[in-house]
Amino acid sequence: MELFETLLPGVGVRYEFTSAAGDRLGVIVRRDGRRELVLYDKRDPDSCRDTVMMSGEETATLVELLGGTKVTERIADLMYEVEGLSIEWVPLEAGRGLAGRTIGDGRIRTATGASVVAVLRGDASIPGPGPEFVLEAGDVALVVGSHDGVLAAQQLLHG
Amino acid sequence: MILAASTAGAVLVELGAVLLVLAVSGRLAARVGLPSIPLYLVAGLLLGEGSPIGLEGSTDFIRIGADLGVVLLLLLLGLEYTPEELRTGIRRDWSAGALDVVANFTPGLAAGFLLGWDPVAAFLLGGVTYITSSGIVARLLGDLDRFGNRETSTVLSVLVIEDIVMAVFLPVAGVLLVGSSLTDAGVSVAIALGVVAVALLVSFRHGTLVSRLLDSPSPELLLLTVLGVTLLAAGLADRVRVSAAVGAFLIGVMLSGQMAERGRALLTPIRDVFGGLFFIFFGMQVDIGELPPVVLPALALAVVGAASKAGTGWWAARRAGIGIRGRRRAAASLIPRGEFSVVIAGLGTAAGIEPRLGGFAAAYVLLLAVGGSLAMRFVD
Repeated sequence: MELFETLLPGVGVRYEFTSAAGDRLGVIVRRDGRRELVLYDKRDPDSCRDTVMMSGEETATLVELLGGTKVTERIADLMYEVEGLSIEWVPLEAGRGLAGRTIGDGRIRTATGASVVAVLRGDASIPGPGPEFVLEAGDVALVVGSHDGVLAAQQLLHG
Repeated sequence: MILAASTAGAVLVELGAVLLVLAVSGRLAARVGLPSIPLYLVAGLLLGEGSPIGLEGSTDFIRIGADLGVVLLLLLLGLEYTPEELRTGIRRDWSAGALDVVANFTPGLAAGFLLGWDPVAAFLLGGVTYITSSGIVARLLGDLDRFGNRETSTVLSVLVIEDIVMAVFLPVAGVLLVGSSLTDAGVSVAIALGVVAVALLVSFRHGTLVSRLLDSPSPELLLLTVLGVTLLAAGLADRVRVSAAVGAFLIGVMLSGQMAERGRALLTPIRDVFGGLFFIFFGMQVDIGELPPVVLPALALAVVGAASKAGTGWWAARRAGIGIRGRRRAAASLIPRGEFSVVIAGLGTAAGIEPRLGGFAAAYVLLLAVGGSLAMRFVD
């Protein structure tokens, strides 16, 4: 599969490819973190038939649904086994919450009972980050715990 | 004491009214799907000279606000593109950029000479006809969901090159406006361009260093730092007669990365407030009585300006291998003129070189901001 990358000055970067079935689709990564999903028109290959604008959070969910990372599959298995277990993906934003600080700074486990069991950074997933682990804007933290605990942890992480 | 309080009250009332006029014009523009700049200009025309509803107490504040507006408009223009994007733009589409300059600067320059204006005023009019409104175009491309289109990267590349041309045009205009002898002007232009070259070099080589120096995790401190540095640079540039706009623009170009992105988000609303005051103030300075005689020549120039921009867009898109429909969209997407044409004309009116320049530019921008937006919307 050949992926084309085009710089859109002032906007971001556009990636596009043609699927085996002949559909052309693209993703625009906006500078502000939003993503745009683009379906190209077969009759006019330069324009798009439809676009879908997604926030960072929505993108993370879509990636999950499309079968993104190994971590997710394992967690999904775990969900079936433990009743009442709640799992949440929490994106970190610059200047808010725990972005730029360590997991220990937030005292998440002490305060909420929930734990950050993994962090997704770019293409890498970091399993079992310790309290000294420094979170960065753009990271997505995987939080596991009781329903209320996960909600409280989300507050701390996201701000 | 009581007197002071009541003057402050009068200024606040007028200022509030002006901001509300901007807000109402902006809403009206959004309702009919047009950019807000033309309506701001019309509001300014109605409030200004030769109008019964003149302002009294707040003119000084609005004048200073307008100065800040120009500085912020140019800072944000500089911030809009990263050094990487500037470099890629020049490398990939320099020929389209060159055609853009030749095809769109010349009509304004020629019109200035035909009207018998001062050469400096003609030079400024060339700038007015040249520069496409990146604000209007970017907004409309987003509204029309065209960022995914293949011709869009070509359109944006042309805008990037216009950005770089401004870095040369503005200091030259600044020097010419001071109006010294030919040799003095030559030396000043050389100095100004040297400063620009150094700033661009710093931006390309050490942009991240400068940005890290000024960065702060706190939005408040980031805003204060960037605003402080920009106003200082703009003021100093003005002192050495290079025009405040150039100083602000160069600071914008030098900042990069995450910090530039956050700064842009923080500064945009402030720019919108003071930019609005600038457009109102520009309109206010134009005497409505002077408008009728310039409308016809401005209309003729607008027709030429629309055609020459459309030709540039068509050619650039064809060169990039875009199909017929994409070429049509690219052609329409370069037509809108707006904020920077007004900024350039504003430099001229502030220096008082040609009384008709303000009205001419206002009419030209009104026609092409509206006409260009409609062309973009209905080309498909």
